[in-house]
Amino acid sequence: MNKSVWWAVARSEEVNSDKPINVNIGDDPIVLWRDHQGTARALEDRCPHRRAPLSLGCVLGNGMIQCGYHGWTYDGETGHLKDIPNLKSDAKFPKLYRAQAYQVVESGGFVRLCADTKATPIDAPSQSLPLSGSVDVALSHDQYLAALFDDPSLVISIRGVLFTPYLMSELAEVDGQLVLERSCKWAGPHWPSPFTSDFPITLRISTDPVTGESELLLRDDAFKPLLRARVAPVPAARGVTQVRWRAKLESQRSGLRAKLMGLGQPFSVLSSVDGAALRVLRPSASIHAAALRETMTNTQPAEAGVA
Amino acid sequence: MLDVNDTAQADDYVDPVTSDPRTFAAKVNSWVPHDIVLKDAWFPLAHSIAVTKKPVRRAVYSQPFFLWREGEKAVAAEFHPAEDVKTAKSEYSDAAGRYPVIEKYGYVWGWFGNPANASPEHIPSLPYLPEDGGLPKHMLGTVRFDCTAPLSLENLIDLTHADFLHADVVGDEKMDKETVEVFHDSETITMVRTCKNKSVAPIMKMFGGVKDDVQQVRQVIRIYLRSHAAIAYGRFDPGDNVQLFHPCVPETRDRTRLDYAMNTSNVKKTNPFRYMMPKASYKVSRQDSSMTSPQSPRYMQPEKRKDLHSPLDEAGQKYRVLMMALAERQAKGDFAYRDNVSADCSEIIGYQKP
Ligand code: FES
Ligand SMILES: [Fe+2]
Repeated sequence: MNKSVWWAVARSEEVNSDKPINVNIGDDPIVLWRDHQGTARALEDRCPHRRAPLSLGCVLGNGMIQCGYHGWTYDGETGHLKDIPNLKSDAKFPKLYRAQAYQVVESGGFVRLCADTKATPIDAPSQSLPLSGSVDVALSHDQYLAALFDDPSLVISIRGVLFTPYLMSELAEVDGQLVLERSCKWAGPHWPSPFTSDFPITLRISTDPVTGESELLLRDDAFKPLLRARVAPVPAARGVTQVRWRAKLESQRSGLRAKLMGLGQPFSVLSSVDGAALRVLRPSASIHAAALRETMTNTQPAEAGVA
Repeated sequence: MLDVNDTAQADDYVDPVTSDPRTFAAKVNSWVPHDIVLKDAWFPLAHSIAVTKKPVRRAVYSQPFFLWREGEKAVAAEFHPAEDVKTAKSEYSDAAGRYPVIEKYGYVWGWFGNPANASPEHIPSLPYLPEDGGLPKHMLGTVRFDCTAPLSLENLIDLTHADFLHADVVGDEKMDKETVEVFHDSETITMVRTCKNKSVAPIMKMFGGVKDDVQQVRQVIRIYLRSHAAIAYGRFDPGDNVQLFHPCVPETRDRTRLDYAMNTSNVKKTNPFRYMMPKASYKVSRQDSSMTSPQSPRYMQPEKRKDLHSPLDEAGQKYRVLMMALAERQAKGDFAYRDNVSADCSEIIGYQKP
């Protein structure tokens, strides 16, 4: 996996000073916590002493993480070992005594990590959307994106909205992102999609070709935004995809159906995928996506990130 | 002296611990405990009281051991008496599929290895367990670990872990001074930890009637390498001594069975500590498991990155090297016991018989 990529592994509210958490990037385990100054920190979730998960430890008052096994204590920014409490000594440890550190950037309600400590910090959107959630889906990252492109109803749900098979614009590259726009309609009695002359809403999906982090925009036929969402799928252990998402329902929505979106949960990412439906899902947009992802990531491997 | 045993290679034996420090470090860091399978050893497979007419099933490295009694006598066999499809017999049992068995210290010990080498003198010395058994049931218990047995023992021999993982039972790391001494021979390793003015173990405060805030502590862990069995002996002042036998039977290469015996008959009958302390093992072992279970898969294969060590890890490092030295000798066909494990070790662990 490309080390210089930034992955949105957590939502801001999941990272705190009370209890470190464990996330993955691919098969790599990572421990995340917030130090005493509120800065999110990330280290490999493996104590270099006896390989215990650091996420079973605790965050000390000075913001460092202490392994729960023998108490070795690490600085989150550099990963350097700072204390072995039982040694009762102030001696400094050799540079080699360190856990692997990750670069961390927090913005827009997401915590993003990069394994390359020299990579340029990512310039991610700063606006935080109020609704949010986290799910772990038993589907590989590639297949997860393919499902999102070919039939979003297998992975997300928008209140009162049906996704049709009709694309208003096929998946193509726009400013380094994979973009497609899908026709949608309101749930309820209506003509079947093939006989509909015009659709009342559309869903635009704009996806980073490397991370798959996607911006979703639902608009009505007057081009007014109804809902925005950011969905961040991250490859995790055993072929699972960790998905962190945030969304916002626009306050000005015209039409009864659009107004009804405010009742209950307007947006969610499904925690599991319907295997029977997925197996027979015909690939269409995902075929373009696979080809484009390959050419795009080959031409700009190091710069890939979030738009 | 007459050459009565088979220690033919005695003269070219080099103590792996005192050999060149760089060789020692390289050994420590090539530790893959899952790959170590030691033979010619007695394993405490079951508490004597668990073995009755009805066969119970145990294993050593997946090799089946069925234990039951014929009359009073405990027997161990490779096949269940009711098993009709018999697979080929291994080389570890006799023509009838029976293993060598000894009953001692309240345990049924089964021999894993060449039956011809089974000898009572290879049963470890456990000074504070009555040789004929008979400890009450409340002093015995069973715990399982989802990890390779050597990791459980490496865990045990580094007691700094207790200050963090078991702080709520045995007290935290606050103390004035800590010293660790390590002794070994080719079959055993013994670690003695002395703590000056250490925070009193909460369990002793709660149930043991200890009122002070600090206590003087001397803890001994002695591992019988081949049998994967440990003595854990603690002296507390003020407080009662803790006399634990902690075997780690490798039922498979990454699952461990602990049939423990905590002899608290030294504690006054009116002191609840006598009954509570043996039960603390259930809590303590869950805490150990929370670390050793995730550790175990990380030690299943050779690892490029070296573990980092502190001076407090001396015992654990030596344990690794001694285990590997035994495995290497066995790979070369040398199964002899170079040191006597059944000689009374009271003095080594600092135990005075009452
Ligand atoms: S494994 Fe982390 S301190 Fe020992
Ligand atoms: Fe422990």
